[in-house]
Amino acid sequence: MVVVFLLLLLMPSSRSATSISVVDRNVVVGEMGEMLQLRKRRRRRRGHVSLLTCVVGFLFLCQVSRLAAAAVLHRHQRISGSAGDVLEDNPVGRLKVFVYELPSKYNKDWLEKDPRCLTHMFAAEEFVHDFLLTSPVRTHNPKEADWFYTPVYTTCDLMPNGLPLPFKSPRIMRSAISYISTHWPYWNRTEGADHFFVVPHDFGACFHYQEEKAIERGVLPLLKHATLVQTFGQNHHVCLKEGSIVVPPYAPPEKMQSRFIPLSTPRSIFVYFRGLFYDVGNDPEGGYYARGARAAVWENFKDNPLFDISTQHPSTYYEDMQRAIFCLCPLGWAPWSPRLVEGVIFGCIPVIIADDIVLPFADAIPWEKIGVFVAEKDVPNLDKILSSISPEQVLEKQRLLANPAMKQAMLFSQPALPGDAFHQILNGLARKLPHDPHIYLEPGQMVLNWTEGPVGDLKPW
Amino acid sequence: MKKVTGSSHRLARMRSKNRSGFNSEQASETSFRLMPVSHFRVFIQCMFCIGTLILGFRLTTESSFLKASFQNPEDPFTRISARTDSSASTGTESQFDLQLRREFANGSKGSRLAYNGTIVHSSGGVRVDVGRHAILIRPWPHPDPFEVLHAHHLIKRVQLEQRQLYGSKESKPIIAITTTFVRTFQAVHLTGLLHTLSVIPVPVTWIVMEAGGVTNETAHFLSLAHVHRLLHLGFDIPMPAGLNERSKLEAQMRVEGLRYVQKEKLEGVVVFADESNIHSLEFFTEAQKVDWVGAVSVGLLGFAGFEESPQSGIVHVHDGRVEARENHILFAARQAAAAPRFEPQVQGPSCDSNGNLIGWHIFDPLPLEGEVHKGMRAAQNRRLEWANFVLNARAVWKTEGNQPEWIRSWDEWANPEDGSTPDIKAIVRSDQWVKVLGNCGRKVLLWWLRAEARADSKHPNKWILDESLEIIVPAKSTPWPRRPVRRAAPPPPAPAGGTGTKHGAGSRVSSGKVRRPKRKQDQTNVS
Repeated sequence: MVVVFLLLLLMPSSRSATSISVVDRNVVVGEMGEMLQLRKRRRRRRGHVSLLTCVVGFLFLCQVSRLAAAAVLHRHQRISGSAGDVLEDNPVGRLKVFVYELPSKYNKDWLEKDPRCLTHMFAAEEFVHDFLLTSPVRTHNPKEADWFYTPVYTTCDLMPNGLPLPFKSPRIMRSAISYISTHWPYWNRTEGADHFFVVPHDFGACFHYQEEKAIERGVLPLLKHATLVQTFGQNHHVCLKEGSIVVPPYAPPEKMQSRFIPLSTPRSIFVYFRGLFYDVGNDPEGGYYARGARAAVWENFKDNPLFDISTQHPSTYYEDMQRAIFCLCPLGWAPWSPRLVEGVIFGCIPVIIADDIVLPFADAIPWEKIGVFVAEKDVPNLDKILSSISPEQVLEKQRLLANPAMKQAMLFSQPALPGDAFHQILNGLARKLPHDPHIYLEPGQMVLNWTEGPVGDLKPW
Repeated sequence: MKKVTGSSHRLARMRSKNRSGFNSEQASETSFRLMPVSHFRVFIQCMFCIGTLILGFRLTTESSFLKASFQNPEDPFTRISARTDSSASTGTESQFDLQLRREFANGSKGSRLAYNGTIVHSSGGVRVDVGRHAILIRPWPHPDPFEVLHAHHLIKRVQLEQRQLYGSKESKPIIAITTTFVRTFQAVHLTGLLHTLSVIPVPVTWIVMEAGGVTNETAHFLSLAHVHRLLHLGFDIPMPAGLNERSKLEAQMRVEGLRYVQKEKLEGVVVFADESNIHSLEFFTEAQKVDWVGAVSVGLLGFAGFEESPQSGIVHVHDGRVEARENHILFAARQAAAAPRFEPQVQGPSCDSNGNLIGWHIFDPLPLEGEVHKGMRAAQNRRLEWANFVLNARAVWKTEGNQPEWIRSWDEWANPEDGSTPDIKAIVRSDQWVKVLGNCGRKVLLWWLRAEARADSKHPNKWILDESLEIIVPAKSTPWPRRPVRRAAPPPPAPAGGTGTKHGAGSRVSSGKVRRPKRKQDQTNVS
């Protein structure tokens, strides 16, 4: 049995997902030497030739079965990110979250005024609140809580066309924080260092849809120490705070899961994209929108038959994505978009064209192995880049995408399932525990300046 | 007025600053001169003001072009500027145009900088590049054939992997039997079917029965097919004009096709691929699952098969997924956002919850205008389409002992004694032996496009006109009825038990060529 095990370790497999570490090999080589000696001793004894043939025959059979097992096509592959297989971690029992009871003007009233907040791509804040209220990590005793959650919906002030107005959001946030700091002692204890907020707007807690204005404003000063759960992520950017958790934007899980087509439908579209190339209302000449990257895609590839790109939004959008090999996910006014989520759910390899972007759950999901990253300056060579990826790499990426854990981690599923985006957020929060003891301030010690920020923010709400 | 001149003064001064050093020097020099030159200077400035008012922004760009043309040209690839018009993007631009556009970028960027200053490089190690960027276009933005070839190799490899992972393990050959005849819409229908059959991954034997004998036109179409084996057989009787007679003749032609299968002892799955049907490739993979006789659902498109009435007589055909989800906060909001469903009309088998065949959905078309409306429709002969059925080829072989006893022998069903047309459903003795394919009939795998030109419409051979037409007359009065009649009273309620009738309300009148259904069968519900 030991011999069989050693030979199994030694046989190289072409399609196996596991890799043999160097340490194992050394051990195995040592044991191989022992095994050879064992064989010599056996040969000396006559009458044990038959035993030898039995052993050799058995080994041969094992080798054949091993190769046969290796030849079985693997449908999907385990995701092991930079932190290991953390997608499947269970956060229950590792942290406790206390949910503040805010008056309904901060959350429910917004929903009643406009229920579209539940279906647009910023709906994560509502669904996280809903999830935490019934989650086993919730505790009603704030003394034993590790994290504190404030359910304030800052992205629910919608214009008639459905886009959220961020102008009141800083005031709403300030008002919520002043409420919790006066009614509970836990904010002042740490100045918010063990509190987390969900801010899924375009540029997170900078609360503006225009990048220049958002950079000017910066992250809301009161949230300087708090952990932010946001969709925006870009390296070297003011609006991505150190220690933030980047989550995917909300995409309706039922709508997507009801539109699956059979997996045997052949993928015949090479590159697929539907969306704007020129934002004609705000930037008709092009160059501002998406830093000119989307316009470059259009100008270079509009007559290329491999690129199925258009601004028309068809009713078979989800079905078409399942028939495509690559789906473009370029930046727009902000670098993130629900296309990434849709591409992952439908098995279409995302081609991410956004410099310095931080993708959701980047410490748990190895995005370089799953998607293709193209620099914005390389967009004119996109067809060369994509057609020069080897078929083995493409199949590898498709196998990683087919992993159900991967698809689950991108969804805010109703009801919450293990491994979905809610649990990944809790995992991220749990990984930041235990808190640094320096965050606990002396009574009376104030670090935050409550009068910091633009004058318009200081008005009470 | 003063304000305008003041601002244009400022503009003029800024513009003069943008010029080469000599000009700015001169401007600053002139500003220090006193009386003797002031009149002249005022005059010059007034001329420039008027000039800017007339010519507008162009002066800035011209000046910045002059300025930039003295600078070093940058890499022509990366600095080609914004929004080219279609004439330039064909790649036939001259060197000068390239130069101009290149400098345009610099100029416009420069002028933007002067006016707005939108490039933000904030402090603290933050590297953000907000502002107008150049749209990068490579010098020849058209597909490269070698890259297209690489991409197609990639697609083929991915599809092979998909077939191996998710495709069906069986690969029985398909025998497709099609009836056709030369007419206006033959090209429309036949080309679609031809390409569908050419891309099926299993070997296809295509038996084409042509009414009126083998013709060159049909042979010309069929030469484009990539099938394993193509049989173009002729049937000497020409296709009649009436729809009932047409269906009878087609049934006879299909029986002839099956006789060929029987004679040659072909193996595989027999599929009645009518040329007016639109097949999905999934249909052919589902057809592989048949043991002896299978039934599929056929959706109806086109004339009187598309409109639906708001009455409850419509049978819902959707997969039985439970849609409602309970959520204590958000349920009501989600209900409000639910989208309306599209309900197609479908003809085919219907199952109960256990998956057993209990009946058939049959399409009941509206009577057409000008036709005698028969009161007692239940007495009509109701039949399913041949396309609803899929056979194992061995079911039509003549050798006894190979087939199960519940399959009628060839002589029994294919040549009925009373001279009526053979019915494919009669090949089995009872319905319980029919295997229902496509998720128990819930998945519609093929669609019947009920659209056809007038029987007497003339069209040139191969749709090529040798000489120009002298007179073109639109088709107006035809012997055929034009549109269905609206029912005066709502139809009788559907009986319980899973079957129902589908009614088409309203009409669709198209100008020009009038669409006719290819086959019209009076059918009501059958249990």
